[in-house]
Amino acid sequence: MGVWRLLKETERPLTTAEGLSIDDTLSQSVDRLNSPPILHLYKFVPSAIVGRYQDIEAALRLQRLEELKMEYNRRSTGGGTVIMGPTVLALGFGINVDHKGLGAGIRGVFQVMSQALIRGLGHLGIQAVFRPKNDLEVLGRKIAGLSAAMDSKKGILFHTSLLVDFDLNLLSEVMNTPLIKFKDKGYSCFSQRLTTVNMERKDPVSVEEVMDAVMKGFEEVFQVRFQTSSFTEEEWNLSLKLKEERYQNPQWIFSHRHPRVRMGIGRLKTAAGLLEVYLSLAGAVIESIFITGDFFTTTEDLNKIESALKYTRCEEEQLVNALNSIWKDDIIYNLTPELLVEAIMLAKENQVRL
Amino acid sequence: MANIFGYEMPDGLYYNEEHSWAKVEGNKVRVGMTDFFQREAGDIVFVDLPEEGDEVSQGEVCGKIQSRKWIGKLVAPVSGEVSEINEDLEDDPTLINKDPYGQGWILVIEASDLDSELKNLMQGEAVAAFIEKEIKKAEEEKAKAK
Repeated sequence: MGVWRLLKETERPLTTAEGLSIDDTLSQSVDRLNSPPILHLYKFVPSAIVGRYQDIEAALRLQRLEELKMEYNRRSTGGGTVIMGPTVLALGFGINVDHKGLGAGIRGVFQVMSQALIRGLGHLGIQAVFRPKNDLEVLGRKIAGLSAAMDSKKGILFHTSLLVDFDLNLLSEVMNTPLIKFKDKGYSCFSQRLTTVNMERKDPVSVEEVMDAVMKGFEEVFQVRFQTSSFTEEEWNLSLKLKEERYQNPQWIFSHRHPRVRMGIGRLKTAAGLLEVYLSLAGAVIESIFITGDFFTTTEDLNKIESALKYTRCEEEQLVNALNSIWKDDIIYNLTPELLVEAIMLAKENQVRL
Repeated sequence: MANIFGYEMPDGLYYNEEHSWAKVEGNKVRVGMTDFFQREAGDIVFVDLPEEGDEVSQGEVCGKIQSRKWIGKLVAPVSGEVSEINEDLEDDPTLINKDPYGQGWILVIEASDLDSELKNLMQGEAVAAFIEKEIKKAEEEKAKAK
């Protein structure tokens, strides 16, 4: 049985610069320093972290973060904004792309990673499933986001943020979304789409207990054993260099290397009821989408629709194809994919830069 | 245009195992990503490119491509100096999806060792064998996931 390395931080939450620079070192280590795979389990100080190619000033209300004494930073993996803190499990995982047992291609790799997390959540009595486009859900509500990057030739870095407990009000306070003008709507939109470990359990667990369950999930899926480890001197030096070059560097944090962000709202009266679409575009692609209104559907089906549209090119044919891949009769009572796409295109027409 | 197991992989281009294509234009090489790549990756969110004048090396990472929440690498198929980048990708990186061998080209390299380095790239039957191997790997993973 293979032995992998475990870096587990329980003494204190890490700053964004500390946590992110350690994580970036994991993929370098498994590539250039011949390390076995490394799992890093920790918590961040209260903070907001955007994806590598997000516009941080469009994504976050920076002044509000400063008022709340929360940090903000940019990670090296893809995806959107995550709000971190002492009740959210932060996970970094470094593995060599040639490692036996890692799935083939982008989809395969995320599938295998999600299995480890699903097995871990299973040990807490929670049945989660993998939603393509890289989330884990419980009955249609997101419980964890997955993102990844290949920063080196052969090293992959995975990031996961797993909600153990969470203050949903905080999302509306610190994130810029098309829902920002509608605070109550923002809260109810988020509460319909997110869940936490402790919301899914009768008895609450600590982040440390979740760490142990996740570690066990990895051991079972990959058939390995973890050994508690710490960085070598070479790894620490690399981590410090990355911390300085990136996570303490305003040029990295406020990087302008990102697609243009536009947001728009589309409203359409249909036989199914009023449709309201809150759309955020990153360049040509949907970055996030919230669909509300007075139509009949389930939370699970609505999340399925929104997930299918996320990261899809915002063009009619692409959107209809994405919806047709998951559509079933009366997924939204009395609505067709074409009508929903009409509402989305209205939101796109109304797009403005926030 | 060669169709290999349903993927467009044009004849006359060179390919590497990191899914980029290379088209020789005199001593310059135009570079893009293959149809196999764009279908596997999904719609491209952003392309982070080197700058004109940057030196790149064959087989080394010279840029980044984001699709969904994955940030993958653009690997230089040949060594040389970047002489041109496709600025249209800044407004619409999904050109890589819509027209991977035409408007979705990514950069042009003024090659420094073309004749020798082309021998390290794939053409013809080797491309078919590579695609078949990639499809088989993906199918094995799908079967395991069921």
